[in-house]
Amino acid sequence: MGSRQNRRFDALVLGGGIAGLEAALNLAEQNFAVAVVEKDASIGGKMIRLSKVFPTLDCSSCITTPKMAAAAHHPNIALFTYCEMQTLERRGEDLVAGILQKSRYVDVEKCIGCRQCEYQCPVLVPDAEQGGFAARKAIYIPFSNAIPQKALIDTDNCILCGRCAKVCPTQAVNYFEQPEEFHLTAAAAVIATGFEAIPLEDKVQYGQGRIPNVITALQMERLLAPHGPYNRVLRPYDGMEPDSIAFIQCAGSRDQSLGVPYCSRVCCMYAIKEAMLLSGALPLADIAIYYMDIRAFGKGYEQFYQTAQAMGVNFVKGKAAYLDPGENGAVRVRYESQEATGGVQVAEHDLVVLSLGLVPAWDPQGRCLLSTGGDKFIKTVKPKTAPTLTDLEGVFVAGAAAGPKDIVDSIAEAGAAAMEASRYLSKQ
Amino acid sequence: MGAGKHAGKILILAEDACAYPGADATGQGHMSYSADTYILRVKASVLFPEQFYLDCFSKGIAGIIIMSCGAETPYPGAYEALARRIDRVYVLMKERGLDIRRLRLTAICTVCTRAFLKEVQQMQDLVCQLGAPGSEAAAAPAGAAKALQEQ
Amino acid sequence: MAQKKKPALAPEPTPGGKVGVYVCHCGGNISDAVDVEQVCAQARRVPGVVVARDQMFMCSDPGQEMIIEDLKSGLVDRVVVASCSPSLHESTFRNALLRAGANPYVYEHANLREQVSWVHHGPEATAKATRLVAAAAAKAARLKPLEPIRVEVQPRALVIGGGVAGMKAALELAARGQAVVLVEKSPFLGGQVAQLQELAPEGETAAAVISELAGAVLGHPAVTVYTCAQVEGFEGYIGNFKLKVVRKPPLGATYADRLEKLSKSGQGLGEYVPFVGVMPATIPESPEDFDLEAGVVVLATGMRPYQPRPGEYAYKNFPEVVTLPEFIRLQAEAEGEGDTLMLHGRPIRGAALIHCVGSRQIPGIHAENEGGYLNEYCSRTCCAATLYAANLIRDRYPQTKIFDFYRDIRTYGRGQEELYTQAAASQVVFFRFEAGEEPQVLKNPDPQGPPLLVQVKDVLTFGEELEVPVDLVVLAVGQEPNNIAGLVQQMKIPIGADRFLQEVHPKLRPVEMSVAGILLAGTCQAPFDVGETCAAAGAAAVKAAAILARGFVELDPFVAEVDLSKCTGTGACVEACLADGALSLVDLEVAGQKVRRARVNPVMCLGCGACVAVCPENAINVQGWTLKQFESMVDLIVSDEYLEGA
Ligand SMILES: Cc1cc2nc3c(=O)[nH]c(=O)nc-3n(C[C@H](O)[C@H](O)[C@H](O)COP(=O)(O)OP(=O)(O)OC[C@H]3O[C@@H](n4cnc5c(N)ncnc54)[C@H](O)[C@@H]3O)c2cc1C
Ligand code: SF4
Ligand code: SF4
Repeated sequence: MGSRQNRRFDALVLGGGIAGLEAALNLAEQNFAVAVVEKDASIGGKMIRLSKVFPTLDCSSCITTPKMAAAAHHPNIALFTYCEMQTLERRGEDLVAGILQKSRYVDVEKCIGCRQCEYQCPVLVPDAEQGGFAARKAIYIPFSNAIPQKALIDTDNCILCGRCAKVCPTQAVNYFEQPEEFHLTAAAAVIATGFEAIPLEDKVQYGQGRIPNVITALQMERLLAPHGPYNRVLRPYDGMEPDSIAFIQCAGSRDQSLGVPYCSRVCCMYAIKEAMLLSGALPLADIAIYYMDIRAFGKGYEQFYQTAQAMGVNFVKGKAAYLDPGENGAVRVRYESQEATGGVQVAEHDLVVLSLGLVPAWDPQGRCLLSTGGDKFIKTVKPKTAPTLTDLEGVFVAGAAAGPKDIVDSIAEAGAAAMEASRYLSKQ
Repeated sequence: MGAGKHAGKILILAEDACAYPGADATGQGHMSYSADTYILRVKASVLFPEQFYLDCFSKGIAGIIIMSCGAETPYPGAYEALARRIDRVYVLMKERGLDIRRLRLTAICTVCTRAFLKEVQQMQDLVCQLGAPGSEAAAAPAGAAKALQEQ
Repeated sequence: MAQKKKPALAPEPTPGGKVGVYVCHCGGNISDAVDVEQVCAQARRVPGVVVARDQMFMCSDPGQEMIIEDLKSGLVDRVVVASCSPSLHESTFRNALLRAGANPYVYEHANLREQVSWVHHGPEATAKATRLVAAAAAKAARLKPLEPIRVEVQPRALVIGGGVAGMKAALELAARGQAVVLVEKSPFLGGQVAQLQELAPEGETAAAVISELAGAVLGHPAVTVYTCAQVEGFEGYIGNFKLKVVRKPPLGATYADRLEKLSKSGQGLGEYVPFVGVMPATIPESPEDFDLEAGVVVLATGMRPYQPRPGEYAYKNFPEVVTLPEFIRLQAEAEGEGDTLMLHGRPIRGAALIHCVGSRQIPGIHAENEGGYLNEYCSRTCCAATLYAANLIRDRYPQTKIFDFYRDIRTYGRGQEELYTQAAASQVVFFRFEAGEEPQVLKNPDPQGPPLLVQVKDVLTFGEELEVPVDLVVLAVGQEPNNIAGLVQQMKIPIGADRFLQEVHPKLRPVEMSVAGILLAGTCQAPFDVGETCAAAGAAAVKAAAILARGFVELDPFVAEVDLSKCTGTGACVEACLADGALSLVDLEVAGQKVRRARVNPVMCLGCGACVAVCPENAINVQGWTLKQFESMVDLIVSDEYLEGA
């Protein structure tokens, strides 16, 4: 990571998710010097937080960590984690990025990732990395397979008791660390800032997060992860093992009135995946998926869908319109059925999982001159013959930053963006 | 999880692409297990001949857990070849009066910490129950015990 | 199974190396649970160990310097660092060895943090730590310096297939300064896209897309294009493929209609002609062939539309039943203005569009296709293409009604859901059917009405049986891979159950084939639309570019090696080998005698060691991970000799 001097690279990669890492590795393999700028304290993006991945069902960590480690150890790649890009502008031949290094309050050069500080810290707060279902300390290493394995302090919760500083074997804790601004200069850039799910709090019809036992699909990923919060699937409200679980598809997507008119593209497949993993974890549970269309379009996806049907996952054609709290922590689902006699139906489930619509994680507005499309994702100007080209010279886009996308498609685009960028660089 | 009584050493063949990082994850979680376990980092367990396992037992290793990548091995075909070999080792173990549960073939991934602990605990319980390798041969036909002695 | 008795098991007393052991406290992380000094003291009693030192942080500069000094002074020539997991610092210490001028492979790591201090406590932690260090030292003493395997790369890429994927991949590579040979079977560039008109969802024209790509390919000095050409000979390995390319006139009348279209169009060579493509060169008069060397091969052999069986949805029973590509062509050639679509002088007042024809077939529900297979996959592009066509008709011919029969509408991509919304808004009538309850296409019994009748059990009206009279039925056919059995066989590359080419791993190595140096681009891998195809082609090109730009491939030296002093040429290893071409038996002269011996091709070897297990003489080993090394590690784990008080 080095001292925060203003440094020069061939290419900048914005975002250290799977798309960003893949793009960076492809550029680095061609001997270009690459800087990866990641706003979180670890690289890995959404993928490192998933349980298993469709359609192969291999463990997500097993696929992501090798790429994370390859990027971290690559001689041509420099990682800038916990860094936010504030501006990106073209100055003649150069792209200049204004970066803000947020304070970790821990000197990354000194921290050896031993977690002594974590053990000593007396503060417990819900761990967002575990869907809020487990606790972490106020000083913490983000998660077990984070890269870099370096601690940081959550100042909102730190009580400045001084224990971590005292126990740290390398005196890495520094309560007075200041955020730092610096510049990175490069000739080309790849935007790989990915997506976020729309906040549950915004969704009146789904209870705005106030109905117990309504969780998001990302939270379900944590419940299903081999290293998840409970080590098994329990409902968060009362720790009961759910007997009946429902997935609500297109929760906020494909509906102009809900703000996301487009299809979020990955939710059909991850719901099927989570349903399959659930039927493994809870063989006796009933699992229903409320959907309009199942969009299993990728390689092996339709077969995956058919397997789930054969396993007994109940696919219910119908749009879930409203959720209410039921008895004993149950959730009532009101939906417009397309089956049997149709009409509005009501069903009760112990646990309801929302496949929330996906929106961009980063908005270039006010930061750089990149245009976005009607969907607010980064606009591409030649979607057929050069699908990663943007309207800012030398800037390319990959992965979910250009619209929701699964991992396979994100990786393909990352390769394409790296190719376009390297071709641009060799023109220079 | 206590170490239990010292019933003998357990050898773990941990494949580099999955189980070895899985053991690391167990360590990062400070999840303790028997100190009588020794992890060998291997590229692919298909490398080891039948005799290697038998030799380990005659050297005094009480249990062996092969922690492979299963079907996700980076070497296509390696897992199937390994599984066939382990079947042959079982035959040889039986001939020598060794309880075949002393050798276990599993698949462990990079975050399979619980599965890792479970495997170790089960093997630990087993070797506690069985004692040193070959001790079960006393109960087995005389020929088998002799075969083991000759190792 | 009879087992040969092994030679003596006794550990060799002096294995060769002078081992230095360096134990890290990890600032207390290790030393709080492990008595580091005692580990060092006991390590000194391990055969081969000449020095054992400890340090607060081995990875720090002073720690690394300590190792470097010992190496430079000649005190040690093998290194064991006992610290945290190798995943964190193995590369750090290998680099330290390099800086000391030593070979980075005479290094072994003992994991005392994740495997000892964080999981065990008390005296047993120290004992286990010592055993792990002793085992590592035993292995280190037997390590040999290794050099990475370097394979020179022929500075040329061969791209097979002149559709969008092949052209895009060729262009990307050429733009990076690489020489590219593009081989296309037909006389034309453009592939299947040339059979289309407007591309969903944005409506770019096929003409624009192909003209852009073909123009650039033909204009680029680094790209050589051979049409009417096929690869008929293939050997070699990454960096050094040797191929035979044959150019010959196409068989019979394969391309007659396209050639006729071309000559009628009045366009010349190199110009785009709708429903033909771009013909860059004349057809060879007689067969000619030439040899070619290439460092990498990109497969871009593409797909073809599913051809319905006669009778499937009454295809071929009635002339009014056509596939979507056939319809696109009819529609493009349709004449007259008016607000009703006219085909061959017949007004189309109502048209039925049926999705998933030849796709999403389910075992037990759908009949197998001619070759005895089912297309279980979704073809990904037909929903958007069908809705695009529906909207286009509704837009241009408001009097032509559209009835759309679907199972699921899969408008997943950017700009695609809008097509669906637009179709609904422009009064396309949707019917939904279940798998196994496909709509029936019949002759309309009403002689006054339109010629065809579509019967369906409609999910959207809760299972009502409906009948829709129409003038035209359009079958949204899926994609099937082109037949490339010849290439598959020559190159020994895998295809999946779906008959598309099978990548090594969809996420880890999505554009690589199991044969190193062969990459895949576009719809030979799976159905894709044009944008996705170009992305896939870019992804393949970037891998190829990295290999070509470097000029050599460096492979891990952890591959099998034959000890000729032990090998007796049984060939057991060859049989066990999992990588085609990695091992073979060759004739050699040893001390004046002709013998057969195993030989490793290090470029093909995966280093898995499947061969090691079967050699009765232990004459083959994976470098850096030999059986002897493992055996000596076990010996030291069970030994008590170096423990204090032993
Ligand atoms: C519940 C769920 C389950 C899923 N399951 C699967 C599955 O099984 N299989 C599958 O193929 N796909 C799955 N997906 C989709 C998968 O998550 C995406 O395909 C993938 O994460 C996209 O990768 P990305 O790199 O484009 O984006 P991301 O993973 O979002 O990575 C973007 C990175 O950029 C960083 N970033 C954002 N803004 C900035 C900024 N201003 N400066 C610096 N850094 C920034 C972010 O912190 C993040 O690290 C799932 C998605 C969800 C929601
Ligand atoms: S894209 Fe649509 S029409 Fe084509 S196979 Fe898939 S679901 Fe069927
Ligand atoms: S190590 Fe594996 S790939 Fe190499 S020759 Fe032996 S069996 Fe074949």
